[in-house]
Amino acid sequence: MNEEQQLIGEMARRMLTDHCSAEVIDRAEQGDFPDSLWTLLDDNGLTTLGVAESSGGAGGSFGDALVVLREAGRKAAPLPLAETLLAGLVLSQLGQRLPEGPVSLVQGSVTLTEAGQLQGVVEGVKFARYCKTFLVVAQRGDASMICQIPADAAVLTHSKDLAGEASDSVQVATTVQPEACFAINDAELDAMLVWGAAMRAVMMAGALEEALAATVGYSLERKQFGKAIAKFQAIQQQLAVFATQVAASTRAAETLMVQPEVASIDVAIAKARIGEAAGICAEIAHQVHGAIGYTRDHRLNHLTRRLWSWRDAFGHEAYWQERLGRSLLADETGDLWQQVTALG
Amino acid sequence: MFQGMNFAPAQLPGELEALRREVREFLNAETDWHPNSDFNAGASPEFSKRFAAKGWIGMTWPKAYGGGGRSFLERYVITEELLAAGAPVGCHWIADRQSGPLLLKFGTEAQKQAFLPGIISGESFYSIGMSEPDTGSDLASIRTSAVQVPGGWCLNGSKIWTSNAHLNHFMVTLVRTAPATDNRHEGMSQFIVPIHADGVTVRGIDNLAGEQDFNQIFFDDVFIPDDHVVGEPGNGWAQVMSELAYERSGPERFLSAFRVLAEFGKSLQNGATESQARLYGQLVAHLVVLRRMSISIASLLEEGLMPDTEAALIKDLGNSYERLVPEVVRLYLPGQVPKGLAQALEECVLHAPSFTLRGGTREILRGMIARGLGLR
Repeated sequence: MNEEQQLIGEMARRMLTDHCSAEVIDRAEQGDFPDSLWTLLDDNGLTTLGVAESSGGAGGSFGDALVVLREAGRKAAPLPLAETLLAGLVLSQLGQRLPEGPVSLVQGSVTLTEAGQLQGVVEGVKFARYCKTFLVVAQRGDASMICQIPADAAVLTHSKDLAGEASDSVQVATTVQPEACFAINDAELDAMLVWGAAMRAVMMAGALEEALAATVGYSLERKQFGKAIAKFQAIQQQLAVFATQVAASTRAAETLMVQPEVASIDVAIAKARIGEAAGICAEIAHQVHGAIGYTRDHRLNHLTRRLWSWRDAFGHEAYWQERLGRSLLADETGDLWQQVTALG
Repeated sequence: MFQGMNFAPAQLPGELEALRREVREFLNAETDWHPNSDFNAGASPEFSKRFAAKGWIGMTWPKAYGGGGRSFLERYVITEELLAAGAPVGCHWIADRQSGPLLLKFGTEAQKQAFLPGIISGESFYSIGMSEPDTGSDLASIRTSAVQVPGGWCLNGSKIWTSNAHLNHFMVTLVRTAPATDNRHEGMSQFIVPIHADGVTVRGIDNLAGEQDFNQIFFDDVFIPDDHVVGEPGNGWAQVMSELAYERSGPERFLSAFRVLAEFGKSLQNGATESQARLYGQLVAHLVVLRRMSISIASLLEEGLMPDTEAALIKDLGNSYERLVPEVVRLYLPGQVPKGLAQALEECVLHAPSFTLRGGTREILRGMIARGLGLR
């Protein structure tokens, strides 16, 4: 990471350490959105980093935004950072401006008629209830469209996901003006998936680093049989495995942060690899924490429930593994080593 | 508090691609060996001689001793190309990776002059002399010992699991030169033992795959002249430990099963099921990340750092990966298994148990990682 990214990461980490406490996360799960935390990050340009200034963002690269998202993952920040960034990137690609406040994509079975009638229900729209604007992906005949609508034009049914974050059902039955609708091609739709996967991958990497530090710390504090459980080889060997998985995840995530342009093949590698690590590490974290880690009183659940949720979002491991495998096999030379070394 | 480990993204410099092409051309022209990516699976004195003629053994060593004066990252490119191609590197591997750098760091000027040119020309091959019949992971428990005699030392004892000793010329041998004290790490020294010296007997041991790979070596009143002691007598433990970061983070720690993966990929060129494509993608994803981690460490080594914990971590993760590859590929083979794939798989299954033993067992490595985490 370059020096600027180091500074961005430190700033984000400091703000989140100071203002995203376990209580804030628990309250968010009860439906109390941390407005002041969002405003703090927004005022410092961290909610729209990676979106061009000409599109209403704070500028900087996609990699810069990933640096912030890793910190958000580390501190389990219950904020629509990835969602808003994704919307900003989509709007930027369409030559449009990102509106104020949180924005979420509404992607599922929604149709748009020639007359401009938008109709459909989409489940699991993250942070929908806190958004001021939605970007709805709709089918108009064979074409895909993106329609920007005010959030109050939709009917929401509140729900939560595995992570305990707002994940609502969005029902749209509204008329949209042609100037708020934009054609989007398959490559652009795929770019949305790739961006989303990159974001979830780095968020997982952050959460994994934090979970390792927390589990190591706990093992040094918790005493059984007259000594810290960290002194038992059985625990040491588990934590060593944990560390290997975290190191691989960090390396895969940082590869994305330092790229001038995010490469979809590296996103596939990162999402597949880190998603795999998430399951292995969450299991070890819980095993080492014992029963206290299996409670809502202990904050480990803030990290592990997010890991279990994020590994499934924007394509789980199997999806990205197969996609990566097929893209490598499609290469006519069939020279795996050439492909591996070309990736750097 | 645990502060994380250092795997900062690093890339091999683009200008090394010319060197990579040169190595590939050299290897493509070599045809008289059977490819296996396990560095321990093939040894050919003739191949090592031809390889040395390219200036690629000791390529990072000072020119004053006949070395190439090139970077550690250049060497990285060459070693990974050798392994990926499955070249028979066994004869020169240890001398190039370990014995030569050890002599450069701790040897006398006379030793450097005497021993390095033979390594560089591909004529002197080296073995590692650490394990003994009663000493595996607990290296400080060695019993092979030497007593001082006029002009040198009289060596007695035995070393075991010595790869290719029957082909090699020298063994850098860890020996107890003073009785054990409360500090078990004191009183050890490293000797350069000529394998063909009087009193040295080499007995081959067939490995699980039925190959004569490693050996037991017996020392029966072997005279070792003073000028064959590496560094200071008594400093053996520190010297042995200093070799480990080089030994543990290189591409040989995750490429041993590469031929299996490459042949599996070739067998899927004309169509892959969902499960096959998924497995292939999974295994390549692991490989790419491991290689990137290893390159990050190579860059630290190039800067003169000694990231021991990170090196242990790569070895553990890489060895687990090498063991996983044959275990899972066998379940997703195509209906007609090409001969190359079947053979690579069979060889890998038979060699796989050694991956997590040699160079530090999985359990020892995880203990080192735990130490790095502050647990012990």
